[in-house]
Amino acid sequence: MNPVLPWYIAGPMIGLIVPALLILRQKQFGMSSSFNFLLGQLLPKNDSFKSARTTSNWQFHFGLGIIAAALVSINFISPEDLIIPDLAAHDDYLVEPVYRIENALIFLLSGILLGFGARYANGCTAGNCIMGVSQFSVSSIIATVAFFVAGVITAQFINPYIF
Amino acid sequence: MLKFIITLVLGFLFGAVLIGSEAFSWYRIQEMFYFESFHMYGLLFSAIGTSAIFVFIFKRKDVKSINGEEITVTEKQTGWKRAIFGGLIFGVGWAISGACTAPIYVLVGFKWEIGLLLFAGVLLGTYLYSLVASKIEKK
Repeated sequence: MNPVLPWYIAGPMIGLIVPALLILRQKQFGMSSSFNFLLGQLLPKNDSFKSARTTSNWQFHFGLGIIAAALVSINFISPEDLIIPDLAAHDDYLVEPVYRIENALIFLLSGILLGFGARYANGCTAGNCIMGVSQFSVSSIIATVAFFVAGVITAQFINPYIF
Repeated sequence: MLKFIITLVLGFLFGAVLIGSEAFSWYRIQEMFYFESFHMYGLLFSAIGTSAIFVFIFKRKDVKSINGEEITVTEKQTGWKRAIFGGLIFGVGWAISGACTAPIYVLVGFKWEIGLLLFAGVLLGTYLYSLVASKIEKK
């Protein structure tokens, strides 16, 4: 088992990313627009993603940093340990790890919902829950509540039937 | 180039925290949605609290960025309809995938097939939204 970084250290560290980005890059924290940037690169003729090619390139660079962290970390930790179910209350439907090839279609579809929903709600967990709520933006607070309402219902009542 | 390196380093730090705290883990997200542990809530609330202190200062005091320009923070004004419907769709995706957009980069970095699959899914979902964006955003 890997030792877990406690929330009271991890949370403030994530919170510090916001002022660090503002001071060093004058950018507001957000992650989902990196996919707009990528689509701008993949579909250069599509006007929907034209502006993101310049405004959201930093978010993709930020994502590359995350990928680098994961690449480095696999030398020190074993993330595979975390795909072995060890949770008590709902492990009756999780007798084997969820990341397996039979679930490929489910994961692809959930990715589509994430991408579609993030654009629809104008931000993901980073942009709405952290950046938006910390400015007391009403639409970000509503979006965060909606994330959790749908998340709780889906995890408790839908996941046991699809996995 | 310097800007790129700064952004990369910040992303690296963020990724390291997501990995260390297990926030990227499908099981941590399920645990959160089952209210079985305070870990993810503590993490989110303390992240928001820390960020809010700085945003509060930046809004009231003239704090300069390293370029010497004043830091401006603009508020998201998305509209409640989009926040609700978009938020619900995102929430379903979050609970099934056990990851939001940043953790997907972690899964890609672990070289897990599921990470690439989620990454492709998000790209596709973002593209699909662009096809209906004009209808949704007009209202």
